[in-house]
Amino acid sequence: MVSTVSKYIRRSPYQALSAAAIMSLTFFTISVFALLTILSVRFISYFESRPQLTVFFKDTASRSDISALENKLKDTGKTSTVTYVSKEDALKIYKEQNKSDPILLDLVTADILPASIEVQAKQAQDLTSLAGIVRGSPLIEEVVFQKDIVDTLVSWTAAVRKIGLAVVAILIAVSTLMIITIIGIKITVRREEIETMRLLGASNWFIRAPFLLEGAFYGLIGSLVGGMISIGLFYYFAPNLESFLRGVAIFPLSPLIMGELLVIEVIIACGLGMFASYLAVLRYLK
Amino acid sequence: MIVFQNVTKKYGTADPVLAGINFIIDKGNFAYLVGPTGSGKTTIFRLIIRDVIPTEGTIAVGDFEVDKISKSKVPHLRRRVGVVFQDLKLLADRTVAENVMLPLDFAGMSETEAKRRAEEILIEVGLGDKKDHFPAQLSGGESQRVAIARALVFNPDLILADEPTGNLDTKTSFQILDLLKGINKKGTTVFMATHDDKLIGQEDRVIVLESGKIVEDRKPAVKSSHKEKKEEKTEKTDKINLESLAKK
Repeated sequence: MVSTVSKYIRRSPYQALSAAAIMSLTFFTISVFALLTILSVRFISYFESRPQLTVFFKDTASRSDISALENKLKDTGKTSTVTYVSKEDALKIYKEQNKSDPILLDLVTADILPASIEVQAKQAQDLTSLAGIVRGSPLIEEVVFQKDIVDTLVSWTAAVRKIGLAVVAILIAVSTLMIITIIGIKITVRREEIETMRLLGASNWFIRAPFLLEGAFYGLIGSLVGGMISIGLFYYFAPNLESFLRGVAIFPLSPLIMGELLVIEVIIACGLGMFASYLAVLRYLK
Repeated sequence: MIVFQNVTKKYGTADPVLAGINFIIDKGNFAYLVGPTGSGKTTIFRLIIRDVIPTEGTIAVGDFEVDKISKSKVPHLRRRVGVVFQDLKLLADRTVAENVMLPLDFAGMSETEAKRRAEEILIEVGLGDKKDHFPAQLSGGESQRVAIARALVFNPDLILADEPTGNLDTKTSFQILDLLKGINKKGTTVFMATHDDKLIGQEDRVIVLESGKIVEDRKPAVKSSHKEKKEEKTEKTDKINLESLAKK
């Protein structure tokens, strides 16, 4: 059976190449969007794990003023933690985040960074009332809701995911049609041979199986090529991305995740290839 | 081995290709199906291997009720019937040995075993030295032999040969006939369609078709041995059976 499939593929190498190429493109795109999804989930998780409310103080605010505000927040009973971050602590965090860039470190001192408090609420719906307490104070420079950031990220990633799904759906449809056409052509070219095999006693399975395996083979090659190129590109550009998203802990992505992604893609691709071939077989081998 | 009872075959609303066909061919017989082009010879063979199904009537081949068997059983029937097609149906891109091995692949025989069996059969038909040739490199007679070898490779109970001497010269035609007779002597039933009267002897079973109807069913006239007498008796019984079936 395997030798029959290999013979079918060798006899029309350009058709095989076209099928494998379109499958590669499809699964390259699927890999890219899968990786983007993984990264966006990590990105959002990172912001979700951050303090829900960050209150930045003006330089005029003294430590005692800040402590008074901290106590006021704690007294509401709605906070789970309230953490003070001094200008010096902020500098330490900044240095940690930018340790690979000495120019940025040289330019920044503790004086230009604001002191802040990071607030975690017991319940998300209490954040608005907690923000209301701090917003009234003349000591406050800025109040940052993590929820706003997360909501924005979620809407962005949802949009990217929708675009990705649409592109992937189109590519899957094109790949399926391409495989149906290629397998259909092969069946048509082999019509006489298939007829002879039938008349000599070949079962339907014996005639159909090589075409189904051929479809699965295109899926296998396509997913391996597409998946490996996208994973390779990801690892190649990861340092740049990591540097760009300085301080946002979404890296590294373990090779295990990549392996799992590749295995899932191979399974889906082989299934897709077989399904497309099956449609061709139903259409052309009545 | 083969029983046709009131078989009619029509395509659409056209006149029937075959009408009210009745005959029985016993196991181990050699029978000719004779008639002009378009008389329905090939349709009878196609009915036997269920390439087409009868519009009316029943067909039995060995244990198979051909008109009733499920689609999944059709390959099993075809593996019990070796067919030498009129157009041979040799695959041009496969060697002689690969062509002969083809039916063995369907049965899941290992490649080594299939190759051994194919070579054995090719020697039997006198083509042992041509196993690696392609069909285009063979003469007409040799191609016929390959088709016969492929039909024989499964040790079938029945060989259907559709005009196996159609495009051959007289000498080669008789060589092919001798080969088929030799196969028949080993116990395989042979049913051969031809329009070449020269090949048919007086003692042969001959079914003559014209315009889709049997106009003559000539049975061997000379019987000498005990075995042949027994066969004659069987054939008479068959005839009686057929007549009674026809009346039903």
